[in-house]
Parts: sequence; structure tokens; C-alpha cells
Amino acid sequence: MRRIILLTVIALSILSMSAIAAEPIKIGVNMEMTGAVAAYGQMGWEGLQVASELIPMEVLGRPIELVLVDNKSDRVEAATATTRLIERDKVVAIIGTMTSGNMLAAGAIAENYKVPMIGPSTTNVLVTQGKKFSFRACFRDDYQGQVAARFAYNELGARTAAVLSDINQDYCVALGKEFVNEFKRLGGRIVAEQYVRTGDQDFSAQLTIVKNANPDVLYVPNYYTENALIAIQAKALGIKAPILSGDGADAPELIAIGKDAVEGLMHTAFWHEKAATNELGKQYVEAYRKKFNKEPNAFGVLAADSLLIVIDAIKRAGSTDPVKIRDAMEATKDLDVFTGKVTIQNGDAIKSVVIREVRNGQFDYLTTVHPD
Amino acid sequence: MKQRTHLLLSIASIVLLVAIIWWADGNLNAYYTRIANTAAIYIVAAVSYNLINGTVGALSLGPNGFMALGGYTIALLMLPVMQKQMVFFLEPLIWPFSEFSLPPSLYLVGLIISGIVAAIGAFLIGWPCLRLKGDYLAIATFGFGEIIFVLANNMLFLTNGALGIKGLPELTNLWWSWGMAAATIFLIKNIVNSSYGRAMRAVRDNEVAAEAMGINVTRIKMLAFVTSGFFGGISGALMVMLISTISPTLFMFTMTFNLLIIVVLGGLGSITGAAVTAVLFSVLQEVLRTVESPLNLGFIQWPGIPGMRMVVFSILLILMMLFYRRGLFGSWEFSWEWLLSKLRRKEVPQCQQQTNK
Repeated sequence: MRRIILLTVIALSILSMSAIAAEPIKIGVNMEMTGAVAAYGQMGWEGLQVASELIPMEVLGRPIELVLVDNKSDRVEAATATTRLIERDKVVAIIGTMTSGNMLAAGAIAENYKVPMIGPSTTNVLVTQGKKFSFRACFRDDYQGQVAARFAYNELGARTAAVLSDINQDYCVALGKEFVNEFKRLGGRIVAEQYVRTGDQDFSAQLTIVKNANPDVLYVPNYYTENALIAIQAKALGIKAPILSGDGADAPELIAIGKDAVEGLMHTAFWHEKAATNELGKQYVEAYRKKFNKEPNAFGVLAADSLLIVIDAIKRAGSTDPVKIRDAMEATKDLDVFTGKVTIQNGDAIKSVVIREVRNGQFDYLTTVHPD
Repeated sequence: MKQRTHLLLSIASIVLLVAIIWWADGNLNAYYTRIANTAAIYIVAAVSYNLINGTVGALSLGPNGFMALGGYTIALLMLPVMQKQMVFFLEPLIWPFSEFSLPPSLYLVGLIISGIVAAIGAFLIGWPCLRLKGDYLAIATFGFGEIIFVLANNMLFLTNGALGIKGLPELTNLWWSWGMAAATIFLIKNIVNSSYGRAMRAVRDNEVAAEAMGINVTRIKMLAFVTSGFFGGISGALMVMLISTISPTLFMFTMTFNLLIIVVLGGLGSITGAAVTAVLFSVLQEVLRTVESPLNLGFIQWPGIPGMRMVVFSILLILMMLFYRRGLFGSWEFSWEWLLSKLRRKEVPQCQQQTNK
């Protein structure tokens, strides 16, 4: 008898809970929570958690609910998860995925359903190319490569450059190629273009070629592990040229592995906490440190940006119709987000690029390059 | 009489399958359709992989390489010319692929060509490797998968490198995937039950004895390898045309690992086992999502831990391996005879189950 009463109470409380609360607006989150690149998804989800504590999780008088699904860093799963979010959870927009490869598969599904999808850190040019419902909260690989080339040519005064990019990563290949194109266009000369592979340990063959070519700057648009090892071995070989990298270098591990060899390494990035001039950015840094007891990272803050972009779009659309939200997202202009201001054009976020330098074993702010 | 009943039953089951697909095509929502498609593609991949690993008993770790070959072939054949120009912006695609693409109506032709390309790959790798045995063969075939991965990353003019290819028409539907699954099961079952199949099993059980009986061991292995490569290529092509994009990371070693789990779990050498486990594998992955979604009962709040389903999945795997050491089905095969005998509540002797059609 007591069991029956208990069950009735439980059933009633569930019913009453759902009756009191207004129907929430669901936003899907499709992240790499497990699998090969789980770190990105987890950082993204952390960013979303911090953001949802900082900003009112309410729009159009209804609460916002984030529905998280894991895609196991797998393309087939990323597509299935997107279908699940749209079909079963009836989400109005999707945040994710973190990596471009998964976004290419998931974006095709979102396009069919006409539900907008925003990838926080999907930098591959192909992600938004020819797509109406695929967005990104970061800048494109080619843009970052161009900025790096301009910075090297104009600010560092480099006239010859060597490029050492990771052929296994779409991100590294695209940055390297665009750097080469832009550097040549500006009038510079590429004296060496070499490739490495993810997981390589020994770069002496490529670096010897670089040393003989004697460039003014060495561009290494790779992830932090390779960058740190390259920096160590370049120093050992006596290469004096400054090393310039992309946002893949943005990890504390770079300094942990590279130690004093990465001192003076510069890289383009999405943001730097010192460059976070607006109130939102400062709040984010503080809240993140407090909640997770570690330094904030770019993946988390970009995911948080994505949430702001989606909520703002729902507000301006004044509706939960995914197509209207998509149109509002495309019309995003000078919106204040955690990393500064963002404008969306053809699905791509137009943002300033921050250039950082490793000084005294820490990432330091060097300068900001604004979009032209 | 027996033959006729079996034929009738086979025809009836085909009609039933067509009816189910016809119903599912119109009534299932896209989410379930996608799971069903994935399941069928895993059937094609697992049943063909089982031919080498189970029937011939040679441990190959290269099916991801075959799938990649098939996947890239179909991508180059089916990608519309306009998309080709857009996607290959780092380095242009080489002639002749840059100039033509097959219309969607010729999907079947594309699939078969993908299978043939993968089969040629299997032949080339099989030629030197199949003389190896045991661990050595495993390492050599593992190397094959890695070589395909490296080539796909570096041949930008053919594969667009690590950037991958996108914008493929989504041609894989329930008809194609389940049609191919049925065709694969039918053809491979017939091969296994033919004299070639018997030779394959002889090779598995005792290579020296088989050779002494006059079986050309390398030739038999090659036959299995090439057949497996052909269907592996088709499964890769189906998968690529389901998710409409391909890049080298799609067919990494984890794919082989998944297939290995499926065939070992189903029972090495059992087509029934491979097919049923392939379906279980794809369905369980989605069903188990419930264990990692947050739960709100009003007074109890369960936050939901991502990755939980993989833990549950692993525990299930361990339990199954503890209690069904030969896999779910061992070397048992489904047959009409077995079904009829079950209906008549009569046991068929063990040895008959293995060989009947």
C-alpha cells in the first residue's frame, strides 16, 4: 500500500512539474564528448555551462533547454545524432559540432530539415560553402592564414618565409596554403614548403631544409604537440627565424612541452583574456576560473558565443520557427559576445584576430588585427 | 519436395522484406530510417569481413582500407561536376574525374565500380600478403589500411586531402542499403556453401591437411580476400553516400575494430551471427543513449554522463564474452530446415545444420 502511495506521489509530482513550467525552447548540442577528439567537445560543453549561468536562459518568455548528445567524434554518429535532435527532441537550432569533418556530415542533415546549425570551432572552408543552414562562430582557416601572412609581412618585416604544415589535418593544410598565397601576393617569397604528419616526433629532415633556406619567418600552423617539438628541434638546429603559428598552438601543453624553446613563439588566436575588453568576456573568464578551477580556453568560449548568437537570433526572429531563426542568424550584426563583437556573413563569423606571444612561460597579448 | 518448400520460403521471405522496406520507407521517421540504413551497411561490411576472418580463418585487419577505396571511388564518380570545382580549391581535381559525374540513376553502376576498385586493391595487397600466416598477415593488412589513409591525405588532386569531399547526393536509402545487405548475404552464403567454401573451411581447420588434399591454399585465400574486398568496397560506398561526405578519418582503424567486435561477438564464421550482431550493434548504440541523457523526476535530478553508453556497451561485451565464448551464434547458421524442425518440435542432428542449404 505504501508503495502505491509513493508511486502516486512520484507520478503526480512529475505531472505537476511539467504542467507548471512553460514549454521550454530546446536547443540541441551535438558534441564530441567521447572518442578521438573528446577534449574539444568537453571544453565546448564547459563553455556552454558557464554561459548558461551568466546569461538569462530565457527567451520569448519561455525557458531555454540545452539537449546534449554525444557524437563519439564519429561522422556517422554525428549525422545520426543530428537527426535524433531534430526528429525526437524537436530542437529549433543546434550548437555543434566542434570539428569540421563531423560538421560536414551533420550540416547536410540540418540543411535537409532547414534547421540552423552553428559550429563553434569548425574552421574548414567547406563547412559553410554553399550551405544556408550551416554557421560557425569562429573565423575560417583561409582568413586566419591570410592574417598571419599579413602580420609576418607588415609587422615582422619578413620577406622570405618557410612553411611546415601537418598534412593529416585539414585545418593545418588550409592555413599553410592560404599563408603561402597571401604572402606571395604581398610580394614575399616562400623559400621552403614542407609537410609533417600528426604524431611525428622527429622533424630534423624538414628543419634542415628550412635552415638551409634561411627564412625570415617560420610558419607552423599545426597543433600544439607538433609545434612544441618543432620549436625544440628548430632551436637545437640553430634556426633563428621567429616562429609563427595558428590557434592550434593555443594550449598550456605547448609551454609544458616546449619550455624555453617556445619562448617568443607567436600565434594567431580567437581571443585573449586581456583582449577581452567587454564586460561579458571578463565575466566569462571569472566564472570559468571559479567553476572549473583552470584557465579558460578558446573552444569553450566559442561554444558560449554560439549560444549567444542563437539566443539573440531567436529573440530577433520573435519566433521558434527554425527558418526564421536562420534568417535572423544570418543578419547578426555587431552582436556583443564573449570574445568581442561578431557579425555574420554567409554563415561565417567576421571577428578580429588576436595575436599572442609566449613570454616568460605564459601566453601574452601582442596585438589585435581587425577585419577589413 | 524439400527443395521446393525451401524455395517457396525463400521467395516468401524476399516478398516480406520488400513489403517491410516499402512500409518503412513511407512510415518510419528519418531518425529510425537512418539507424536502419546504418545497420544494413554494417551487415554488408561485417558479413564480407567474416568471410576472411571466420570462414578462411585468416586474421585480416584491413577492411577499413577496402571501405575507403570504395568510398573514394563512389565519391569521385557521383559528385556533381559543379561541386567538384567548388570543393577542390586547394588543388584542382585531375582529369578525367573533373569532367564527368554519373547521374543518380546510375548509382548501381557506381556501387559496382567501387566494389571492383576495392577488389583490385584486395588483389594487389593479397598477392604478396596471403603467403603470410597468422600475426604476420594481420600486421601486413593493418599496414594496407594505414597506406590507404596516408595516400588519401597526400593525394590532394584526387581526394582533396584532409579537407575531404562534401556535397555528395544522399542516394543511399532503405532500398539500396537493405537490398545490398540481402544480396551480400545471399551471395556470400552461396560461396560458403559451394565447393570453394568447403575448401575455405578446410584451409581454416588445417592448412597443411588442406594442401595435402590438393587445395591451392593461396588461391582459395585470394578468392575470399577479393570477394571480401568487393563487398567491403560497396559497404564503404553506401556509407559515404549516406552521410554525403568523406575524408580520410572516416575509415580509420576504429572501423576495423567495430567490425571485428561484430564478427567475434556474432560468432566467427557465422553469417547469421555477423548479420544479427551488425543490427544489434547499430541499434544498441542509439538505444543506450538513454543512459546518458539527463533525468528529471522532480525530486531526483540525474545530470547525465556523456560516454556512459560506451561503458554499458563494454560491460555487455565482457559479459557476452564470459558466457558465450564462441560468440552469440557460434558457428550456427539459420536455415529453413532448422526453422521447420523447430515448428515441428523435432531436433535436427548437429552435423546437418552445418551443411544444409
